[in-house]
Amino acid sequence: MLRQLTWLIYKDIQIDWRSKYPFAGILLYITSLIITSYLSFTGMINSETWNALFWIILLFISINAVAKSFSQETDRTLYYFQLIKPELIIIAKLLYYGLYQLLLVGLALLVFSLFLGAPTGDFSLFFSNLILGSLGLSCAFTMISSISSKTNNNSVMMAILGFPVIIPILILAISNSKIIILGGSLEDIRDNLLTLLSVNMIIIALSYILFPFTWKS
Amino acid sequence: MKYLLKTDWWKWLAIALLTYVFIGGLMFKVPSLPILNETIRVLHFHVPMWFGMLFLFLASVIQSIRYLSSNKVEQDIMSSQLATVGVLFGILGMLTGMFWATFTWGEPWSSDPKQNASAIGLLIYFAYFVLRGSISDEQQRAKISAVYNIFAFAALVPLLFILPRMTDSLHPGNGGNPGFNAYDLDSNLRLVFYPAVLGWTLLGFWIATIKIRLKLIKQKIDD
Repeated sequence: MLRQLTWLIYKDIQIDWRSKYPFAGILLYITSLIITSYLSFTGMINSETWNALFWIILLFISINAVAKSFSQETDRTLYYFQLIKPELIIIAKLLYYGLYQLLLVGLALLVFSLFLGAPTGDFSLFFSNLILGSLGLSCAFTMISSISSKTNNNSVMMAILGFPVIIPILILAISNSKIIILGGSLEDIRDNLLTLLSVNMIIIALSYILFPFTWKS
Repeated sequence: MKYLLKTDWWKWLAIALLTYVFIGGLMFKVPSLPILNETIRVLHFHVPMWFGMLFLFLASVIQSIRYLSSNKVEQDIMSSQLATVGVLFGILGMLTGMFWATFTWGEPWSSDPKQNASAIGLLIYFAYFVLRGSISDEQQRAKISAVYNIFAFAALVPLLFILPRMTDSLHPGNGGNPGFNAYDLDSNLRLVFYPAVLGWTLLGFWIATIKIRLKLIKQKIDD
């Protein structure tokens, strides 16, 4: 079990390492997105705009990064199908794209702070909310990607199916983050943070239960 | 759902309840309140739409789950038709709400959290229909859309029940506005409201059963 899991994650790393252009492409995407927003928002950035802009950028980064997770698997499906349980595949994907997302979010935060200023408020709180929110984004998009990879128009379907589903997570994360940036403490956001955590849990549990059905079709 | 397709006593119940709701909802005495005035009667026509929508979506999700465990085409047809009628109820709820808001809040769309949440909820289900349209293989379409239906319903629940409660809403009963319970001192509203919820929901299921029958017949002709 565990060996298959590590093997699956290792395979994803290898694929990304072998053809470096998707990762390089997403890096370029991050920087150009941030520079564009920097140029269009200079002079009118306050904490709340900073926050909203940051999360919108995260949303676009994560949909672009995760969209490929299942569309690149089409030619390998049959091979896996006989070797590995679908539950393992989705766990491996969730783990890999969770880590991938965290790496990208870290880079994005770095570039973003360079151009538009660093976040204010309690750092540990900001990061725990950031990690929870972006893991939620990556998990939901991974599942949506497995659904949209079965349709004819993969990339468009990804956005149509993904954006409405992601909004609860996004609203919770944005409002938490806003409270933190404006100087709130753990007491102010505890309930919201717990709700965010439970929404994440629901999404992960549903992905685990539902993925075998999309996989087998 | 099978039971609803076979029996029809509940259709008579729906007719009776809705007749009562139209007469009672428009004629009974209502508490007269500032701003709301007579528009309080919208309670019997706007709020039941959302209840009906939720019950229809819930039934649709249940059919989706049953489809995934049994792989019967009828279940997929039921699920998709229930979702269609659910969306119809959602749109009606939104239109009646906007119509009411024009006279009480001064504009049809005030970016109220509940308005926004229900708009996003409808977007989720529009996406469901786009998804159905984009897959040509019948088996695959049924399976993938069942999965998305369950996944989307799980996103709809926090959207409609948790997020609007986080911020103040203009709706009666939220953000310091007194709820209908507070106005309803003599339970006159409740006397019509509960039958209205039941009646409109039953009407929704009635429309859904007609659509399901039509689809099943078309399916048979195609085969």
